Amino acid sequence: MFTQFFGNYLLNSGLVSPEKLSDALGRLSETKLRLGVLAINAGIMTAEQVDKVHAEQQKVDKRIGELMVDMGYATEEQIEKLLKTQPSAHLLLGQTLVNDGVMTNSQFENALNSYKKEMGISDADLEDSDLGDFRPLVDKFYNFDNADNKSYLTGYIVLLFKNLVRFIGTDFAPLSAKALLDNISRSCMGQEIHGGVKALTLIDADDDSLIEFASRFSGEHLTANDDFTRDCINEFLNLHNGLFAVNLSNETGLEIELSPQIVYNDINLDTIKNSHVIPVCFSFGTINFIISI
Amino acid sequence: MSDTTKKLKILICDDSALVRKQLSNILSDIGDFEISFAENGNAAVTKYAEILPDLSFMDIVMPEKSGIDALKDIISLNPSAKVVMASSIGTQGNLKTAIECGAFDFIQKPVDKSAVEKIINKIM
Repeated sequence: MFTQFFGNYLLNSGLVSPEKLSDALGRLSETKLRLGVLAINAGIMTAEQVDKVHAEQQKVDKRIGELMVDMGYATEEQIEKLLKTQPSAHLLLGQTLVNDGVMTNSQFENALNSYKKEMGISDADLEDSDLGDFRPLVDKFYNFDNADNKSYLTGYIVLLFKNLVRFIGTDFAPLSAKALLDNISRSCMGQEIHGGVKALTLIDADDDSLIEFASRFSGEHLTANDDFTRDCINEFLNLHNGLFAVNLSNETGLEIELSPQIVYNDINLDTIKNSHVIPVCFSFGTINFIISI
Repeated sequence: MSDTTKKLKILICDDSALVRKQLSNILSDIGDFEISFAENGNAAVTKYAEILPDLSFMDIVMPEKSGIDALKDIISLNPSAKVVMASSIGTQGNLKTAIECGAFDFIQKPVDKSAVEKIINKIM
């Protein structure tokens, strides 16, 4: 999940456009990590040194690792260790953007270091975040300090991202939360939670994004925003809310119930209290999760 | 199953067309069954009485009548009915209620083939 939040940081820093980011996120599996990016990430070399090594490689017929050692930037042991490194998704994102000419090695290095510093993330935290413990990232990113039910809201969103990764894909970046300032004219699928915790979640997006979201969830090739597509969106919502209920029941003993999902038309602020819009930018479009809890 | 064996009648009750399709596909992979469908709790009770299935899969969160209420109605029709609750909301409370109401078993969604196979093996 660090990758998704780091992608948002690149977006907010103006280093990448939403289109370039979405495109890169959709192609991570095609990208091969270069030794230079791994060396920068490990703090062994600076971007400037990596650029010098690349420039030198144009002149001599040597492998990049050999040159790094020859030029005194790294030891053979360090190169061997780097070559065994499993590619982290955030590095693949950086490499893809560098390959695409969207950023330089130096911009990637600065952005990665600034983000880690701003978020207070160590390299060990970073590994944990990629493995699953990313609640601190969500806490810091959304800063729901003034929100009612902050703990439930954060827990709900952490699970949402896990379920997006599990059922839809990793090619997304969360966008900053915003208050629901305007009424939503499009129809949204929604589901209410009641009992120990009261909540309402709506899913809003344009037709093409909904169709792709539903296609991925169902494993079907869907081509229209019809009843079946809406049914798939509803089932994702039902599954997510059900898993939230199970976690809540196991962790706190609180029992909640779900209402059948329904279509909401002409949503207005009066009907949704304490709502937060959580936009998620996928490679195929943006899905808005409107959450009131 | 051999051709001479009577096909098991299985009723799938879920308001989601996707889940009905996925569960039906899983069952078709496992064996040759006579599969029927219901889209809500009321339809589930009506269909149950009509076809008297050997096994039913029942969602909990459904419009018109919940799966738990449909389970109660089905058990009152046939106390030995085999109804498996298949739901995303497998909380301790729901598990307890389902068992108390006579559910045969409980499957947490998303439903996978191995969980369905275990159920089928239990009744065959």
